[in-house]
Amino acid sequence: MNKMGTIIGFTFKNKVRTKSFLVTTLILVLLLSIGMNIPYFIKVFKGEDGSGSASSPGVHIAVIAENGSRAAQLLQTYAQQPGTGATVVPYASADDPGLKKALSDGKVDGYLTLTEQEGTGLGSVVYHSKDDSSEEQSFLRSALQQVNAQLIAGDRLTPQQIAAMNAPVQLGTEKISADGESAQDKSHPLINYVIVYVLLILFFMSIMMTGNMIAAEVTSEKSSRIMEILITSASPLAQMFGKVIGIFLVGLLQIAIIAAAIAANLMLPHNSGVLKDFNLNLGQLSVSLLVYGIILYILGYFLYALMYAAVGSIVSRTEDLGQAVMPIMMLGFVNFYVPLFSISNANTLLIKVTSFIPFTSPLSMLLRIGVGDVAVWEIILSLLLLLVTIFGLGWLAAKIYRTGVLMYGKRPSIKELRKAMKAYKI
Amino acid sequence: MEALKLEGVVKQYGDKTAVNGITLGVEPGEIYGLLGANGAGKTTTMRMVLGLIYPDGGTIRYKGKPYSSELQSIMGYLPEERGLYPKVKVSEQINYLARLRGMSASDADKSLRYWLDRFEVPDYYNKKIEELSKGNQQKMGFIAAVVHKPQILILDEAFSGLDPVNVELLKDTVRELRDQGTSILFSTHRMEHVEELCRHITILDRSNTVVQGDLREIKKGYPREEVLLRTPGEVTGLDRISGVTAVERQERGYLVRISEIGAAQRILGQAMEQGEVEHFEIKEPTLNQIFIRVVGESHE
Repeated sequence: MNKMGTIIGFTFKNKVRTKSFLVTTLILVLLLSIGMNIPYFIKVFKGEDGSGSASSPGVHIAVIAENGSRAAQLLQTYAQQPGTGATVVPYASADDPGLKKALSDGKVDGYLTLTEQEGTGLGSVVYHSKDDSSEEQSFLRSALQQVNAQLIAGDRLTPQQIAAMNAPVQLGTEKISADGESAQDKSHPLINYVIVYVLLILFFMSIMMTGNMIAAEVTSEKSSRIMEILITSASPLAQMFGKVIGIFLVGLLQIAIIAAAIAANLMLPHNSGVLKDFNLNLGQLSVSLLVYGIILYILGYFLYALMYAAVGSIVSRTEDLGQAVMPIMMLGFVNFYVPLFSISNANTLLIKVTSFIPFTSPLSMLLRIGVGDVAVWEIILSLLLLLVTIFGLGWLAAKIYRTGVLMYGKRPSIKELRKAMKAYKI
Repeated sequence: MEALKLEGVVKQYGDKTAVNGITLGVEPGEIYGLLGANGAGKTTTMRMVLGLIYPDGGTIRYKGKPYSSELQSIMGYLPEERGLYPKVKVSEQINYLARLRGMSASDADKSLRYWLDRFEVPDYYNKKIEELSKGNQQKMGFIAAVVHKPQILILDEAFSGLDPVNVELLKDTVRELRDQGTSILFSTHRMEHVEELCRHITILDRSNTVVQGDLREIKKGYPREEVLLRTPGEVTGLDRISGVTAVERQERGYLVRISEIGAAQRILGQAMEQGEVEHFEIKEPTLNQIFIRVVGESHE
């Protein structure tokens, strides 16, 4: 145990000080910081761009209409409602010099020409602009929809009736469970999706990176023959687990640094508005999701790390390593992409199946806990299966490691490996 | 009691026998020479002694006891391809290895500094292995093998690749360790090192033990076949003496090969008749000659 501590310390210290670790972590933090501030940057640039335009952001549209055009009036009334953030200014003709000036000054985004027929609603409507943004489009679509309805209805409906007509229908959902009773619908706050998304990417990257680190470390120890000295100094089991735990700490440190970077960026005053814009409430952050996330990360890490260590011990030369770890990488991709592509629909049969298969369960189960329906017994069963697999794999990996580290030359076949493994006690 | 005792140790790789029943014993304070051509089974034997691989037959005893993990702290090993982390500082990795072998951090550091001073390279403490020359890397490997004061030391080709000055330095160190009571199992291709250092030897040939025992006894068992004669003037007629098989004219005399020991006295008589004799020696066979004789032409 004492030796294992020494190995853990040595592995951790040396890995953390490598240039590759420092550079990767720095790049990740930089990319994250830039990415998280992009919405703010866009806002800043947009603001500067339109410094000469109307003081308030939003949609500014001119409408070409003769005096007394009902459609134009309705459009203006609609825009005046609170919350649209839009202004509609009528002009008599498209050749109006005032309009031309407003357009070139950027005070107006574009102008609308329309024809109307009493009783049958709007005719053709054309929006003229330099570049119609989606914001303008969506405003116009809903505004014109209402204008049209009001035109057709005329005076036959009261404004209240028209408002009621345009109000979106509230669709409630209720799940029917197997016994016919209706179960309560559990909807997940949006923040869960974000957390699951971030954790999926973070855990996948971390497990792949640290896994490769372990395999490369074992192979280089083997190819530099320091392995022979190490094996005569400490048991292979202590060495393998010492290395796996040491690099686990490296991975954890990296995640902590990245998490700190994310938190620091969220704390920035200009970003709190962005969070609000996306309807994200950090108060809704589910602690249990994070706790499960950490448990699943740890278990997932050990599962993959042990496989990487075993493969690293079989390979004699670093050049052959890439090819040898390919199957593990494939498994890792499945582990990552299945839940990633199912994030909007976490209750498919595929996810249910993968959340019980130990090699894919860490991330699939995380998805189900975060944004799907999952019973506690399912989580426990999945974790138990994962644990049993880790112990089984740990034993196997230790055997392969013990055998593999002293096999040089070409990569041994599975048959050779099995034969050699029988000859060694762990 | 012998610090290290091998009895009938066998190792097989598939159908091939790598070591076929080797038996040897190393006393405390003894350097034991393990000789053999490439692939004769030296390294396999050493790996079995180290517990890296398990023998298929026979027993290995350390101070009378079988292998256990406690031995890790009393054994030292310098592998043939000395392995150290190229990108890690000398001090860090040697202290690490010493601590793995059960030393405390402060003892390990003290011992490392002693050895660096002993090899007159204290400034390597903070250098990375990859910054050092090959010979100096080897010295660091040697330090890594002895830093924890092992009682059983296994040196596989310890002197290969070193310049003569460093060979002498390491030889002195090995002798010093021997005098302190360390049991050393030593393998090499260089016969002259064995002649200087070892009391007992084993010569392996294609996994079999072909010669074994006390070096002096072994030499006595082989006939003396060379006479070295040094004279100021020329000596003629040496090749006509019965028992002489060849005469080689050297810078300051003659090297005469003989087929029976009696011929030596006749050579001396012949030489003295013709003038002064400065030097006359019946040479005992060198280990090199013995080795070539028993192992054949296959050695390097």
